[in-house]
Amino acid sequence: MRKPYTSRRALSETIFATAIRAALFLCAAILLFLIGTILWKGGQAVNLSFLFSPASDFGKSGGILYQLLGSLLIALTAALLVLPAAVGTAIFRHSYQRAGKAQEALDVSLYALNAIPSVTYGIFGLIFFVNILGTGISWLVGSIILAIMMLPTVTLACVQSLQAIPPNYFENAFALGMTRGEVVRRVALPQSAHGIVTGLLIALARAIGETAPIMFIATAFSGVTLPQSPFEPVSTLPTHILALAQQSTDPRALENAWGASLTLVMLAALFSLLAYGARLYLNKMRYK
Amino acid sequence: MPNAPTHPPSLKLVQSDNPQLKDAPVISLKDFSAYYGENCILSDIHLSIPSKGVTCLIGPSGAGKSTLLRTLNRIHENAGESHFTGEINILGRDLVSGFPDVTELRRRVGMVFQTPCVFPMSIADNVTFGLRGTKLSKGERRDIVAKSLKSAALWDEVSRRLDQSAMSLSLGQQQRLCIARALAMSPEILLLDEPTASVDPISARAIEDLLTSLSKEITIIMVTHNIGQTKRIADHVAFICDGHIVESGEKHRMFSKHSSDKTRTYLTEEFCDC
Repeated sequence: MRKPYTSRRALSETIFATAIRAALFLCAAILLFLIGTILWKGGQAVNLSFLFSPASDFGKSGGILYQLLGSLLIALTAALLVLPAAVGTAIFRHSYQRAGKAQEALDVSLYALNAIPSVTYGIFGLIFFVNILGTGISWLVGSIILAIMMLPTVTLACVQSLQAIPPNYFENAFALGMTRGEVVRRVALPQSAHGIVTGLLIALARAIGETAPIMFIATAFSGVTLPQSPFEPVSTLPTHILALAQQSTDPRALENAWGASLTLVMLAALFSLLAYGARLYLNKMRYK
Repeated sequence: MPNAPTHPPSLKLVQSDNPQLKDAPVISLKDFSAYYGENCILSDIHLSIPSKGVTCLIGPSGAGKSTLLRTLNRIHENAGESHFTGEINILGRDLVSGFPDVTELRRRVGMVFQTPCVFPMSIADNVTFGLRGTKLSKGERRDIVAKSLKSAALWDEVSRRLDQSAMSLSLGQQQRLCIARALAMSPEILLLDEPTASVDPISARAIEDLLTSLSKEITIIMVTHNIGQTKRIADHVAFICDGHIVESGEKHRMFSKHSSDKTRTYLTEEFCDC
């Protein structure tokens, strides 16, 4: 005899709810395990001296000062480069481009760019900048490649932020005799600033941890201090971790690798927290 | 070729008996048809709108009233597929060739929409939002804010909190702020698309009183579904149905001596079978 319909519904509802809870628990457990391990192992290495002293003996002793500065330098320069390009592309798409095949092509291109493996960007940078243009290995080239890599993420964040602005804001501004440029400056940009900043910081949080795109074109693994010009290489945290991991038989190298990993995770978390704070603050200012 | 409706064209002109309103029309449309893509929204419209006073465009939903209104300050151009044929003369110039800079037209022909839309900034900043490019001293700015808010009958309610967010105002106050923002541009014509549709009856009455008072200075053209409101504030009425002007004229004639059965049905029963 078949069970009543309501019982079967309740059972399937319970199974579904349990399954999604299990999925959530699995994700949270993996994340907590990773962060917990990094915190536990890295916490033993990280202190002020570790953060603010230069590495020595191929990173096995000393700290990560130049790697930390190099990572910040390369990532912040990338942010400066990507911001005008991403905002410009998003505004063109939202305010100047008519809906149609060209707009669809732009959207598809942005999503496709987002899906390209990061090592491909690195190879492109090596072939185009280092080999063809002869720029040499430098943090500027690294920043350019990171900026290209961040471009789709930041652009899509800007586009979504612009699309979230109520359409009647634009209509009312046009009805007041504003030109398209004025509407962009006085309505679109102020109203989407929170989304732009959030997108940028989240892209930065991801970019600062990237190794593959910059290891061929921007970084040196040892012996690098603070660069004197944009055309000199830097050392970064991801490449430093990679170099230390290759010496994992040495416990000193392994301990420093965990310390550098924790610092990198903290930097990424800082950018994410800044993104959250910026969103809250700019949203509050927006409706003040 | 767009498919035009098969109805015969309406060829009625508004002519006022009121001496104040007998001046040359401030807006005249001849053979005007409006399209959205291939669809004909309005067909063969002939209409003259006199200077000053309130002209109400009435008719059932989808008749083309808002399309007509939006064409008058070319805000329809923002919807890519909208276009029109025929002639529109406004403020003594052709709507398109006479205003190569559409921003000049929109400054002289203000528009207020159905849903109040204030920008997330202070009340005072909202009023002066459209005055870009003109460097105003603090005193001039204050004067414009005060004058516009007084004209919009909002000054008494907000004069002590001009720096507060406009989002804190009630919907009725927000709509009057939108009118004040349009008035700050010193328009000669004010277009209103169902300005009282989203506000409560008390706010609606306040807006009606405001429009009656403003109509002594500027030409007001308003789309409304509210026949009672039309009776209270209109000087002229144009009844639009299914993309045509069925009848138009002075309010008293429209309500007492209308020549069309459709007009009578709509005005008395608020029902239209056209």
